[in-house]
Amino acid sequence: MFIHYLDLSWRSLRRTPLISALMIAAIAVGIGITMTSLSVYHMMSMDPIPHKSDRLFHVQLNTMDEGRTWTTEDNLPYQLTYTDAMNLYNADFPERKTMSMRTGFSVHMNSSEVKPFLEGARATGREFFAMFDLDFVHGASWTENQQINASPVVVINQELNERLFGGENSVGRQIYLDDESYEIIGIVKNWEIHTKYYDLNNGAFNRMEKIFVPFSLVVSKELSSWGNTNGWKFEDVRTFQDHLQSEQFWIQFWAELDTPEEQQIYSDYLRTYLSEQATKGRFERETVQFALRNVNQWLEYNNVVTEDNRVLVGLSFMFLTVCLANILGLMLGKFLRRAPEVGVRRALGASKRQIFAQHLVEVSVLGLLGGLFGIGIAQLGLWGVRQTYSYYSALATMDTYMLLAAPAIAIGACVIAGLYPAWLVCRTTPAIYLKTQ
Amino acid sequence: MLEIKPIFNAMRRSKVGAFMLLIQIAITTAIVSNAAFIIYDRLQYLQQETGYPEDEIFHFAVLTFGKDRNLSQQFEETETTLRNLPGVINAAAIQEVPLSGSGSASSFGINPTTEQGREGLEVTAAYTFGDEHAIDTLGVKIIAGRNFEQDEVIVAENNDVMPNVSIVSQSFLDEIYPNGDGLGQTIYLGDMPMTIVGVVDKMKGPWLRASIADNFLIIPFVSADNFQRMVVRTEASQRAAVMRQIEDTLLAEYDKRVIVGLQGLDESKREYNASDILMLRMLVVLITVLVLITALGIFGLTVFNINKRTRQIGTRRALGARKSDIVRYFIVENSMICIAGLLIGSIAAVYMGQALLELYSLPALDHNYVAITAAFVFVVSILSVLIPANRAAKISPSVATRSI
Repeated sequence: MFIHYLDLSWRSLRRTPLISALMIAAIAVGIGITMTSLSVYHMMSMDPIPHKSDRLFHVQLNTMDEGRTWTTEDNLPYQLTYTDAMNLYNADFPERKTMSMRTGFSVHMNSSEVKPFLEGARATGREFFAMFDLDFVHGASWTENQQINASPVVVINQELNERLFGGENSVGRQIYLDDESYEIIGIVKNWEIHTKYYDLNNGAFNRMEKIFVPFSLVVSKELSSWGNTNGWKFEDVRTFQDHLQSEQFWIQFWAELDTPEEQQIYSDYLRTYLSEQATKGRFERETVQFALRNVNQWLEYNNVVTEDNRVLVGLSFMFLTVCLANILGLMLGKFLRRAPEVGVRRALGASKRQIFAQHLVEVSVLGLLGGLFGIGIAQLGLWGVRQTYSYYSALATMDTYMLLAAPAIAIGACVIAGLYPAWLVCRTTPAIYLKTQ
Repeated sequence: MLEIKPIFNAMRRSKVGAFMLLIQIAITTAIVSNAAFIIYDRLQYLQQETGYPEDEIFHFAVLTFGKDRNLSQQFEETETTLRNLPGVINAAAIQEVPLSGSGSASSFGINPTTEQGREGLEVTAAYTFGDEHAIDTLGVKIIAGRNFEQDEVIVAENNDVMPNVSIVSQSFLDEIYPNGDGLGQTIYLGDMPMTIVGVVDKMKGPWLRASIADNFLIIPFVSADNFQRMVVRTEASQRAAVMRQIEDTLLAEYDKRVIVGLQGLDESKREYNASDILMLRMLVVLITVLVLITALGIFGLTVFNINKRTRQIGTRRALGARKSDIVRYFIVENSMICIAGLLIGSIAAVYMGQALLELYSLPALDHNYVAITAAFVFVVSILSVLIPANRAAKISPSVATRSI
């Protein structure tokens, strides 16, 4: 019966080609525009590490004088001071925690084949890779000893390994960072995420770093931050040592806490830690303030999904509503004109439910066609987005989920729009039309 | 005269179709007026004067990793090399490039900061270090005072000796010395005093979107660092050619360095504003298509109504109605729906504007936009009804008699 209805819908579409084309175009455009903004929204708001996003916590401490404000909603600075980052890192609990900071190097291979280039790098703890699910292809992270001794070791990603060594196992080979030799000890997979959630300082959708070095090198090589450094009071910072001892915020800190109990223990620890620091005269505070935010709370707190994007998604759904009102009107006209034919079918024994089903199948076919064309329009729209804003190039794509969502939304929307016309037409009384024939 | 009553009665018999049209027009009005307003707002922002001849300027950074060079001389040599390139007007060492979205800001006061804080007026402004060529290279004009003297530019590896003069934008000067006597006065960056020696009428800082976009200072200092940013001004027509030879020319001079971030100033600005340009384009596409869809909807519905009423129209024609009467009938019918839709849509637009204002940092909707949009939608709806209505007017009176 379904096949028969499909056949009927196809015939019906072909009988009024102009109106059918108009309806399909309306849905396609509506879906195309909606899916363009929805895809970007979907990519922006996607959980970057779904299986442990509720176990990774970003640490914020308020180590400013009472009454000082910050640009955040709760007046907590985004980052930590060097003193605090080191104290938290050297504490026994939890097992996995790490500070990290964006820096960078000029890279060369001490040969004329590779032109020197500038590359961003992440200075971090050895736990970083395990915490953020960055798997090793070859080698492993640096050892505790290498970390303590600030050994010149480096982990690079596959993409860089491809560029410098043609993709072969380069563990044990040398690379020159700022004209000093480093040994490659590990190669990690390329990071397949869109949101740089572990460091939102310089834009949430920037590229991930390709080089990782032990954080202890920041001190021994006096590496400067490529991220943000913020102060809150006047400090005479002249040397790198001043910088390390200052109250400036420039380091991100993450902790992995697996259970609510662990989170409780860590909260208690941070509370004790902060009250202890307050007694050392670093800052004047009565109330202890800190925050542990998991990945999704952290993204939300940093407004990763932009306002413009929310406005666009809202507008495009209103736009879709207009398209629906449009096809509802057209469908109504089209179905009602067919009332005599329906009258005959009813007289020949078709039940109301069958007529209703037949018309719903017809609108679904419209929806499906519109949805498919809509995907095409959305691809065009996303291409436009990528052209306009290269920063969004990883975001302005449709994943499988969105590809399936497009026809689903189209069919759903058409069925909603078709309910009333189909209901109206199935109520046709056969007698009237038989009389006038 | 306009036969509103019979038309209204006829409409009541196909309520839903009319109602759908009304909804479409209402939503269209609401969206288009708000979107048009956002578009206007962004356009104003994107087209504002920055003070710089953006298409003549480009910038890049030199990262020196070789350790055998005297960095406090190298930037001078680089500048000379650049000035010798054909087409180059001037070149300067600069710490932060305006309009690029990356820079430094601080509060400046009329008193120094001490351990106890600062007394008196404080104004936040972006600033950059640069040498005596920065003003000319950026293409901005000093309207009062003078440029830096060469010996006022401090070239140093640390910040033990700091400069004691600066050139500021007019807008910053008006804010920190509101009485208009700022030129020659002293301002403090932290505890470092600087005399204002020159004023530039307009030069935007690194962040166009910031509230302090107009507050910008140039401080004569060059940090002899292994990372040195350069800014170059050329003839607009020759910029691309000059940019192409930068890397080779500079590496030929000394090759233990990397040239990064070679970019025109207009391109940097476009990158910083890319999200606004994107929003602008999306909204333009959205409202264009929306108006088109609504027009097609009106067109389609009128075609249907005409088909449904072919016989009725024939009868009216047979009874003596003129062609213009038929056209008028459809126009009046459409206008009635349209005006109702526009009324509802205008109210919705105002509410939507308020919601956007409350939820997001968008400016308050200018009600003129609602009025103009309503008028525009009305004209579009009339136009889209005209074609089918004219076709209806051609229905011959014989149709009415033939089919009975």
